[in-house]
This record gives sequence, structure tokens and C-alpha cells, in this order.
Amino acid sequence: MSKPVTIDVANVTIRRGGRIAVDGATLQITQGTIHVLVGPNGAGKSTLLSAILGQIAFTGKVDMTFRGSGVIGFVPQTFVADRTLPITCAEFLALSRQKRPACFGITKPAAALIAKLLERVGLAGFEKRRIGELSGGELRRVLIANAIDPAPEVLLCDEPAAGLDPTAAEELDKLLLGLRDEHGTTIVLVSHDREQVKRIADRVTRLEITVKATGKPDEVPL
Amino acid sequence: MSWMYDWWISLAKALGLPDSYQYAFVARGVVAVLLLAPLLGGLSHLVVARRLAFFSTTLGQAALTGLTIGVALGLPLDNAYASVLGFCLLIGVVMVYVRRTVALPPDTVIGVFMAFTLGLGVCVLVAATKQFNIHQIEAVMFGSVLTITDRDLLLLLIGGAILIVALALTYNTLLADSLSPSIAKARGVNTALVDYGFVVLLTIAITLSLKVIGALLVEAMVVVPAASARNLARDVRGYLGWSVAIAAIAGLAGLLISASWRVPTGGAIVLALTACFAISVPLGRLRR
Repeated sequence: MSKPVTIDVANVTIRRGGRIAVDGATLQITQGTIHVLVGPNGAGKSTLLSAILGQIAFTGKVDMTFRGSGVIGFVPQTFVADRTLPITCAEFLALSRQKRPACFGITKPAAALIAKLLERVGLAGFEKRRIGELSGGELRRVLIANAIDPAPEVLLCDEPAAGLDPTAAEELDKLLLGLRDEHGTTIVLVSHDREQVKRIADRVTRLEITVKATGKPDEVPL
Repeated sequence: MSWMYDWWISLAKALGLPDSYQYAFVARGVVAVLLLAPLLGGLSHLVVARRLAFFSTTLGQAALTGLTIGVALGLPLDNAYASVLGFCLLIGVVMVYVRRTVALPPDTVIGVFMAFTLGLGVCVLVAATKQFNIHQIEAVMFGSVLTITDRDLLLLLIGGAILIVALALTYNTLLADSLSPSIAKARGVNTALVDYGFVVLLTIAITLSLKVIGALLVEAMVVVPAASARNLARDVRGYLGWSVAIAAIAGLAGLLISASWRVPTGGAIVLALTACFAISVPLGRLRR
């Protein structure tokens, strides 16, 4: 029996700055799979991700069907925050993990959870490091740590491997596969990394403004 | 409020301050500054994190316009909170709506509203001066401790307490939304509500602080403490702590300068704040 559909994208068209960024995209993302969006720059991959998240206007329909927690995790391609803001990695992660205002300190349970999360993304001991002092790859790993707790039912990642060294990229693959296999997380990934796509993708969609092809990794030109 | 005045007067005596610092109006000013410091200092670091410095300036201008509208409508000059708050809320909410709707840089949108509030303010001011002496609004433009009443302090105490509780309850969401609205939205945060809600809190705080700091200088109190704190703080905890401390120190210093040299309170506080910022730059470098 085939798995149920978690995200149903039907005839989605997105206009941005007077041009069509995505034209009539239709695709179905099944529960508990890793679905990778590939395509050249400007093909509309990140834009489509934003539409799935409901963050931009579009025509057509996006239906998300939740069967569990309904938690959505998101790893953005860019982090717009002012990098001079004095906020540590622990404080950033505490913002959505405790009720106490982060400016009044981090609670013990939150601190323990944050330490584990940072360890999972290979940043053990980074609690007191300021977000603005992190390298691009380190910042990306903090964003991944933020997105994977609580274990999301749907995880949307916009080029999460960009800026990661090969070891960290491999660790990321393990993390994503673990989420899929242990928690049944449905993962939508934008990626330019062909090797990563071959390693972890269950399904691939090639987008070039319109959907050019959808299928298994060996069926779609990467 | 008399216990607060008594406390200040006994403190002034203990510190050996001149008799002029023991006057009731100075005591009222001290109490006002001590009430405003945690409120504006706390708001300050969120204003800077959310990049609303220019927005705050426009709200300050709108406050002046709101005052003149109130006076033109027949409200007493020293009790026009309703028109100030009403006009500032209207401008603030419409500004957020337009900023969220049009595809223009935020500072361009805010610039349009600043020009509008200034233009409207000047026109209404000229019309309203038939009813009062234009010099009477100097206190609202530049702040004056002389005009603070017990009723103002009570409003500041109650309003400030409500605002601080509201900020504490929403702090994590506000900061998370400032850092990345897209992540916050994915986590189920209503980012539009956060945007509008923060502007409402900011507007109420600005209205409450007008009599002390003045409409034209209120931006300084909601920007400079955080700007100075940013040079010194290593984390969010320190950022808040320094913001509040700098708001309190500069507020008290400005008040005492104002009482000593008979200069507008708002201007004196801004000068003290700027001095704090100047000191924070080299200090911040030393701490790194």
C-alpha cells in the first residue's frame, strides 16, 4: 500500500517582481519521505518552499495533511538577523524552548536540551558563542538544531548543506535519515549537492519555473 | 506617591546634594525617570533588534501632531493623552500595514509617514495657536519635569507595569520574530500580530514618556540605550541589563543637569545618553 500524501501542491503559480517565479507547479510529497527539489539558480525552488510554508502569495492550492504533532521545522537559506545582535547560540535556541524570557536567563531543563541539540549537530560547547561570531556553516548547523526539536512532522530545508564541510554534510545526512526513519518526518529539501541527493533522496523533483520531472533519484536529471 | 518623594529627598540629603535637588518637582522627575528606565530600556533593545529606530522617531512626531489635534478639538493642553495616544496608534498601525503590504524598503515607507505627520502637525499647530500660546507646547516637544503631576506619575506607574508584564510574556516571541520572521512563522507564530502588537506597546510607552523626554527627543530614549548596550553586552541578558542601566543613569544625569542649568529635561537626557554611547564605544573595544 502506498504512503499517504502529506503535502499536495496543485497548480501553484507565483509572481514575484512582475515575473513568474513558479508556473503551475504540481507535485505530491508523501509521508515519511525525503523529497528533494533540484534545479538551477532562479528556478523557483526556494520560492516554492515559501509558498508551501504559506509565507508568500500564490495562486493554486497547497494542502498539508498532518497525522501527528503538526510541528513544522524550517531551515531557511538566509538568516536575515542583524549579526551584531549580542545573542548566544543557547539564548537563540532557548527562545522557543522555554517560557521564561531569554533575557532573564536560561532554565535548567532548556539548557540541558540545548546542550544535547548542539551536540547532535556537532557544535558541542557552543552555548556561549555569539550567533554573529559563527561561520556560515556553524550558523547553518544552529538553524538545523533549532528546526529538529521537537521532532517535526514536516521539515523544510533550503540548501541546508551549503557551507558545510564534508564531515558535517555527512552528519547532516545521518540526522535527516534518522528523522525520517525514527520519527516518520516528511522532509522537503532544496539542494544543489548531487551527491547528497543520490545519498538520501527518496523522490526528486526538477524545477525550472515549471516542474520538469518528478521521480526516483535515478529517474530525474540532477 | 509621597513616599517616593520622601525617599528621594532623604537620599538627596544623604548624598549631600544642593537644596535645589530636594524640590518636589525634582523628586517627581526622579521618580518618573526611575519608572521610565526599565520600560524604555527594555523596549529599547527590542526596538533596535526589530530595526524600528526611524519608526520611533515618526511616532514621536506623530505624538506632537496628536497633541495639537487634541488641543484644536478642545482638550486641555496638559491632559491630551487621548488624542496623542489615538493619533499615534492610528499612524503606527497604518504604517505597519503599509510596510507589510507595499514592495518598498521600510525606511522609505516610514519617511512618507514622517513627512505626512510633520506637514499635518504644522498645519494644525498654526490653526490651534489661536487657542493657546505656542510656547506652552515646548514642554511636550522637549520634555519638562516642571509639568509632571502626580496623575502623570500614577499613569506611568500603572501603564508601565502593564507594559513590562506584556513585554515579559511576549519577549521570546518578539525576539525570535525579530531574528527570523520566516522561522517564527513556520513555528506557528502569527508574525502580523507580533508586528502590530509591538507597535501598540511602543506607542503606549512613547505616550507615557512624553512629558519627561519630549516628543522630538523620545527616539533617543528608545534607541540610544540599546545602541550603547550593544557595544558592551555579550549576550541578551547583558543587552537588557545595560540598556536599562544606561537609560536610568542617563535619565537621572539629564534630570540633574536640567535642574542645575535650567535647560529642557529631554535635551539634557539626550546629551547624557549620547555621552553614555561615546563612553561605550572604547569600553566595548576593551571588553572584546
